[in-house]
Amino acid sequence: MNPEILQLLVPLILGAGAIGWLMPSNRKKPRIVGVILGVVAIFLLVGRARGTSGSLETDVMFDLFAGITLASAGMMITARNPAYSALWFALVTLSLCGLFFLQSAPFLAAASVIVYAGAIIVTFMFVLMLASQSGAGGYDQRPQHPLLATVTATLLLGAVIVALNAWGPDKLAAEKAKAADAVVETNVARKKAPLVSNPLSKPLNEDFGTLHQLGRSLFGDYLFAVELAGTLLLVATIGAIAIAPRRSQGTL
Amino acid sequence: MAELITTVITIAVVLGGTLGACSYLIYVERKLSAFMQDRVGPNRVGPYGLFQPLADGLKFLLKEDIIPDHVDKVMFLIAPTISVFTTLLAFSVVPFGDVAADLEIGGYKALRFIIAPGIDIGIVFIFAVTSLAVYGVILGGWASNNKYSALGSLRASAQVVSYEIPLGMSVLGIALMTGSLNLETILLKQAVSILDWNIWYQPLACLIFFTAALAESNRMPFDLPECEQELVGGYHTEYSALKFALFFLGEYTHVITVSFLTAILFFGGWHFPGIAEVNSAYPGVTFVKLAVLMAKVLSVVIFIMLLRWTIPRFRFDQLMGLAWKVMIPLSLVNVVAVMTIKQFQFSLWWLLPISAAMFGAAGAIGVAAKQAELNSREPVASH
Repeated sequence: MNPEILQLLVPLILGAGAIGWLMPSNRKKPRIVGVILGVVAIFLLVGRARGTSGSLETDVMFDLFAGITLASAGMMITARNPAYSALWFALVTLSLCGLFFLQSAPFLAAASVIVYAGAIIVTFMFVLMLASQSGAGGYDQRPQHPLLATVTATLLLGAVIVALNAWGPDKLAAEKAKAADAVVETNVARKKAPLVSNPLSKPLNEDFGTLHQLGRSLFGDYLFAVELAGTLLLVATIGAIAIAPRRSQGTL
Repeated sequence: MAELITTVITIAVVLGGTLGACSYLIYVERKLSAFMQDRVGPNRVGPYGLFQPLADGLKFLLKEDIIPDHVDKVMFLIAPTISVFTTLLAFSVVPFGDVAADLEIGGYKALRFIIAPGIDIGIVFIFAVTSLAVYGVILGGWASNNKYSALGSLRASAQVVSYEIPLGMSVLGIALMTGSLNLETILLKQAVSILDWNIWYQPLACLIFFTAALAESNRMPFDLPECEQELVGGYHTEYSALKFALFFLGEYTHVITVSFLTAILFFGGWHFPGIAEVNSAYPGVTFVKLAVLMAKVLSVVIFIMLLRWTIPRFRFDQLMGLAWKVMIPLSLVNVVAVMTIKQFQFSLWWLLPISAAMFGAAGAIGVAAKQAELNSREPVASH
């Protein structure tokens, strides 16, 4: 078998095993087994995919935030109590925002805190609080299709990793080398050489990351998409108001 | 390294200052309440009761710290810390003096008048962080496993999520006028003359911002999450000793943050004509600017305290109606007005009569709607 595929498959299967083991169920299982499986899986993947930014602080911060994100995501899926799940979700969002800050996207970070942690998860908590703290039935405390969920999520994760690998560290280095060659050839080429080869994060302009540039980009480069999304949200809002029953009709 | 030391010192000064200010603001509030209700207020500990805050603090520390049996212990302990942590974190981007002038001692930059300078998204960061404060209230109420606490936190979550919207939208007008969300830039833009203070152009936005911020900090007349007559103590019914003190501290820190924001966003920050201008350069001007800002902040805090004993508490449907039917539409119209003025480059002074007109129109619509509702109501059957 191709060793590259094996390198990807082993951590994925280990991770799936970890999540499957940690999922709440009726039988008593020692959690430590699942935790060890998960940690091993993450380290195998990290060894394969992680590049360095060159600065120690940034690397440490990245590892810290990424670690918290992964751990809280695992806890969110495997927590028995839905209220705890919601809180772990909030922690996932917050540590993701830390990653956004590291990528010089402070507005994105603040906006996701406001929208996700500040509003959406609060609404989840709002609903969950109406359920009693300890009175949830056994059927509420364990997943209905743990196997199916684990397999699907693993497949999705695998697909994402394969797709991102196309711009992995090796390719990045190759691109950089190519860009360096271009420098030697002409000065004009250097200006056009992409700094980052991943098209998903390619900066369009020099002062990328500032609020000013973000606004220009949103309402200039991506005006159509923004307006489309806005219209969609507006239609959804109007629909929600239309569906919601009036007070005179009995509910609320 | 020097930068790091400066930051640590600044954080220590801000933390100490805020906590000290909180304890003495509680004293001020008690004296002020007593004055408004024709009482004497605390007068036993020290001259004029000046050591009362110390006694209060000691009492909080030494009282028995009860964790009831039926609570969710982890959440019960985390909730008050979230409440304090988030409100204190918001201070990191609030300038509390002239940011351009650092306090130098022996050639070293000893103190900077802002913890994190040059944050591009200033106000958005504050809104993001303070929007997390509601977790403290929700978790506190939920973990207490008490019906009154749960009701209090249900109310709190609905209230805070609703009032976040007008709070954010009321500042959009200023962001458009200044072209920045950075608090330092917004402050400097106003520090030209007293006529450049944003209050002249955005009086309605100021009112909306102040009201929404009061609601966010659960102060009277918006203290429905903890109203004593209906909910015992609301979300902190089960809390005692230091854990209760943390909730209290969170609320007070929030009041201070709100006052800072009001002073900086609408009342020119440290600027005051004659004594604290951008180019005034007499010795000790840094401290005068600091004092001017503190005086403005203190005035806002005292105004909030006076409001507490002036306006009675809202009913919950009134509270929601105020946010969704009055403040959100008004702040939207305000943003449209600023946009129009900016787009066609009219004089900014037009915003003053426009704000007044919007306020009047909102009042007229409100009265007309109430009248229509009263007229359409079924006549009460007489006996």
